[in-house]
Amino acid sequence: METKTGEPLIKIGLLEEALNLARANSLWPMTFGLACCAIEMMAAGAARFDLDRFGAGVFRPSPRQSDLMIVAGTISKKMAPAVVRLWEQMPAPKWVIAMGNCAISGGPFYYPTQYAIVPGADLIIPVDVYVPGCPPRPEGLIEGILHLEEKITKRGRLRKFRDVK
Amino acid sequence: MLSERIKKALALLKLEKVEGGDYGKTGYHVEAAADPGQMPEVAKAMLAEGCFLESLTAVDYPAHFTLVYHFASYEELCRTVVHAKLDKRLMATSITAVYPAANWYEREVYDLFGIKFAGHPDLRRILLPLEADFHPLRKDFGATASNA
Amino acid sequence: MHEPGQEEKTYVLNFGPQHPSTHGVLRVELQMEGEFITKAAPDIGYGHRGHEHMAENRNYQQFLPNMGRVDYLHALAYNQGYCMAVEKLTGLEVPERAEFIRVITAELNRIASHLLWVGAYLLDLGAFTPFLYCFDDRENILDLLDRVTGSRLTYCYYRFGGVPKDIDDEFMAGCRAFITRLRGRFKDYDDLVTKNIIFIKRTRDIGVISKEQCVRYGLTGPMVRGSGIPYDIRKSEPYSVYPRFDFEIPIGERGDIMDRYLVRIREMAQSLRIIEQALDKLPDGPIMAEKVPKRIKPAAGEVYQAVETARGEFGCYIVSEGDIKPYRIKLRVPSFGNLSILPEIAVDTLVADLVAILGSIDVVVPEIDR
Repeated sequence: METKTGEPLIKIGLLEEALNLARANSLWPMTFGLACCAIEMMAAGAARFDLDRFGAGVFRPSPRQSDLMIVAGTISKKMAPAVVRLWEQMPAPKWVIAMGNCAISGGPFYYPTQYAIVPGADLIIPVDVYVPGCPPRPEGLIEGILHLEEKITKRGRLRKFRDVK
Repeated sequence: MLSERIKKALALLKLEKVEGGDYGKTGYHVEAAADPGQMPEVAKAMLAEGCFLESLTAVDYPAHFTLVYHFASYEELCRTVVHAKLDKRLMATSITAVYPAANWYEREVYDLFGIKFAGHPDLRRILLPLEADFHPLRKDFGATASNA
Repeated sequence: MHEPGQEEKTYVLNFGPQHPSTHGVLRVELQMEGEFITKAAPDIGYGHRGHEHMAENRNYQQFLPNMGRVDYLHALAYNQGYCMAVEKLTGLEVPERAEFIRVITAELNRIASHLLWVGAYLLDLGAFTPFLYCFDDRENILDLLDRVTGSRLTYCYYRFGGVPKDIDDEFMAGCRAFITRLRGRFKDYDDLVTKNIIFIKRTRDIGVISKEQCVRYGLTGPMVRGSGIPYDIRKSEPYSVYPRFDFEIPIGERGDIMDRYLVRIREMAQSLRIIEQALDKLPDGPIMAEKVPKRIKPAAGEVYQAVETARGEFGCYIVSEGDIKPYRIKLRVPSFGNLSILPEIAVDTLVADLVAILGSIDVVVPEIDR
């Protein structure tokens, strides 16, 4: 038999794109708060800000059911192994948002002689979107999630939201 | 007056110092100084007066540790502080048998200062990971490769 | 998970550090016999950030923003406790108007904290709707505090000697509107929650704490008041301008979860009364003490200042050696003492009850761990 290279039988690319669109619009974050930022994450999911509008409001208590980890708070040295394990337990494809300065770089708790924290979530797990603030306002988290959706679909979905005022 | 009763009860224990405090300046009604080995008796006396253990901590001075015990009462406004100077090479005495609240406070002091309490039922680290090899609130603690 | 000598019916259940009902990162190691708990050992420290070590490495002003991050739900009480301790140490006098503003904002913050507790606690027990109601009310408080403090959560509003920004008429009008609104909402909460038969079944006579246990474990806040001891620092050890207001300390009778819940709900109504009176009596005048030194350098000595937070007594113990940095700061946090009773009251309860008991303690884990 001779092998021929040419047009593929099934166009996976298109399916992948459709799947990504679906993934981006139904992100399931894990109910996982470390410190102060977790309260703002709860506020983002509650009555006024309502993350459900962006398809990301179904908070899952189990890492096995979620595809988005929002690292909301300071990662202490004692907690770091648990964070890594939780990330490993999440099924792929999965994404990580580092919410707040502590998760980005240690924030106010980083100084040369500190002993307690891991200065940045990206030192232990891969991070897709960084949301600065101490803590970020819920609007900030929503912006971060929209950026993540844009990253997943590789489309300028965000622009459309900005046009709608 | 509770503060008078406490002073009387503590005076029986022959402590190093028992006197009235300046509440407006320090927040204490009774100030006492004791030997760390006397603390279980002091705790018993305080419990008999109906006081609860408000906080237990330590301060690291160059020559010695000072254990600081705060007691207060639900019934009447009266805060008692007991300072206990501890030689850096010696062990303190646990008051967990009298006040179960001291269990966690003593573990915290052990964790952060490395002070051991004789008679404590379960003296493990409480805040830092179990494998940590330093005591951060000691004044000689600095940045090293393992903790920075 | 069996030890060789252990009987087969005992097993170990790991509860946390990531669990939706642990309110953060608390771990409890449970030894179970069937559905019943034979031993509960809390493992804390997953939120340890080293506040006390930080205090020794910064000067007094630089440590002020940390106070918004120890107990972020009632940050203003921590602001107040620390500021009052330093003011006591340096002999700074706070103007009357500033004290009133402190009381108004701290009480608003207390209500926000209790509202969040009610919402999150009922979420633990499986009721989702109150969560949305509570957060809706809470957002109104955050709007008000946002106006004067500039942040929604981790406030750093008080300064040594007063407050940096005055409140305006719009804030006061907003407060009054909020008081009316929340008073109307209490009936909703009553109908939704307090009279709910499922809620009553899950909280009545569960997690009972006796007065004697309160003394031995050094409990404070709604934990002792639920057990019938009227201990509230605002009354027992009056500070700021609290003695000028007329308010009551709600207490429970049986010391169970239901009583602690009712204490918190009633406390919100009392806080509203305090705010209302403070708005009525608000004096004119400066909001900052004159001649606040740029460098805070207190004389050698020590001070202990207690304030009542939403969770209990926060004590700020400062040792000064006459330097611009504190020699030692110990933060006596309420949740630390309150949680230490868990091993005693969790024995012989069901796992589901453990969630109910743990929630009723109202722990904020980064506050316990500091």
